[in-house]
Amino acid sequence: MKQILLITDGCSNVGVSPIVAAAHAREEGITVNVVGVVDQGAIGELGAAEIAQIAKAGGGMDRIVQPHQLSQTIQMMTRKTVVQTIHQVVERELRQILHTDATHIEDLPPQQRSEVVKVMDELTETSELQVALLIDASASMKPKLQAVEEAIRDLMLSLQARQGKSEIAVFHFPGRASDETVMDLDWTQDLSGVGSLFRRMQMRGATPTGPAIYKVIEFIQYDRMVGSDPGFRNQSETDGMLGDYVV
Amino acid sequence: MTTSFNASSSLAPGTWIEGKWHHHRYLVERLLGRGANGAVYLVRRGRGTELAALKIGYDAVDLQSEINVLTTLAKHQNKSDRRMRNSASRPFLLDVDDYKLGQMDMQFYVMRYVEGVTLHQYMEKNGPEWMGLIGYRLLQKLVELHEAGYVFGDLKPENIMVSSYGQVELVDYGGVSRIGRSVKQFTERYDRGYWNAGSRAADPGYDLFAFAVLWLHVMDGARLRRQGPDQLPQVRSANDLINLAHTHIRLKSYESWFKRAISGQFASSHEACSEWKQAAIRSGSKISSPPIRRHTPGWLKGIFVASIILLGSTLYIILQSN
Repeated sequence: MKQILLITDGCSNVGVSPIVAAAHAREEGITVNVVGVVDQGAIGELGAAEIAQIAKAGGGMDRIVQPHQLSQTIQMMTRKTVVQTIHQVVERELRQILHTDATHIEDLPPQQRSEVVKVMDELTETSELQVALLIDASASMKPKLQAVEEAIRDLMLSLQARQGKSEIAVFHFPGRASDETVMDLDWTQDLSGVGSLFRRMQMRGATPTGPAIYKVIEFIQYDRMVGSDPGFRNQSETDGMLGDYVV
Repeated sequence: MTTSFNASSSLAPGTWIEGKWHHHRYLVERLLGRGANGAVYLVRRGRGTELAALKIGYDAVDLQSEINVLTTLAKHQNKSDRRMRNSASRPFLLDVDDYKLGQMDMQFYVMRYVEGVTLHQYMEKNGPEWMGLIGYRLLQKLVELHEAGYVFGDLKPENIMVSSYGQVELVDYGGVSRIGRSVKQFTERYDRGYWNAGSRAADPGYDLFAFAVLWLHVMDGARLRRQGPDQLPQVRSANDLINLAHTHIRLKSYESWFKRAISGQFASSHEACSEWKQAAIRSGSKISSPPIRRHTPGWLKGIFVASIILLGSTLYIILQSN
């Protein structure tokens, strides 16, 4: 199971529409969830609408929260998305087995429903899961990055308790060039030895959300970043320790 | 796909709920509360006066998952009931059914209605002396759950109902998770991971940790808050919690218990339960438990002095007149 979790605080303003990018991710079997983080001010009507649209196109959920609610929100989203993905798969299977159109789990008699949900709970806990976190690092996000990092560590802690293999990777955008997406952390199952995630981040004004989503789709598909900083390929020796190859 | 029940909508008192499969009827009295998986209503069963609690799920799968846990627990409990007659038999599940509301099918289950007030309310009203006994009964409930292969997970004062003379019931089984899996639901303040004291995997120690923080919260909420949300996450530590127990006068007898629960040193919840009982008895038998200091008001002191003077002068007059 593959998910992209976008954390942002406003509108995209460069490159391809993030809604197109999210729809494409969904086509590739990747669910896109979006969290909008606000400090005091509101996120703006445009920003909120875009966040909702990205999530809808990506088959995921969207929430707008304060920094202190971030941990709880991204855990809830990740878990719910796993449950929903399994829900869809199970219903598709049921339709094939029972040869009827009306196979929602709710329509099953209680005894059968109980058995099906047991299987779903099992899958929720044991299936493999990859979550790519994509962090908007435009200038306005700077004061919220501490909360973002805490939330990522907390998410990892929760995922570690699962029985199935769970990995996260972390990206931010823009990088040095405004169309660049920087990988902060390659797929990992453990964050305990990893130092500060966003140490060398340079905050910029542009917000190329769409291109960044495309970069992450590319990464998930081929497990590498094509056409990006060549330094990206040397991550295996560093065992998830970034910083060294982040510009 | 999922029948999402709008979290803000609620059923009006006087609504009849009839099950689609078993055809039992329930009359809604009022909303009791909301859990993560659904809303709980106080209902009357059929035409009778018998009260019950009815939970309507927000999502069919989540609620069914909770029902599955309750079914397993009920089976386990029947077994242990036969073994020990003294354990009060209390059926978890009275009915499981669907209810048609407009176009939507909603899932619900009916359980015994647990009367009482939340732990905080009870302790505020009845005083800290009840900690030993209530804690002991709560641990017995947890031991029972652990022996059935589950942990409670989201242990917090709101999920503990206390009735007369410190009788305890756990409510909201939405966070109950099988041992060896991940904890389904938790509340940061009582979470082992939040305090950098261990994983979020469901093991009996997870509940014991939450139990310890729960009592720190009930007995000394102000100091606990200073250690928790006001601290940076990297410096939050289990040692701070142990220190809170160490320096609290009412928790003196339980000091080593808290230390072991917070650092995960109990071999089993059974051991934790019997050690707690010993500590509670020890603490209760000591006279040196902190005296309840009653401040003597100034006017009372004044009257006392006046009465001494009066006595003295009376004696003087009597002696003189002889």
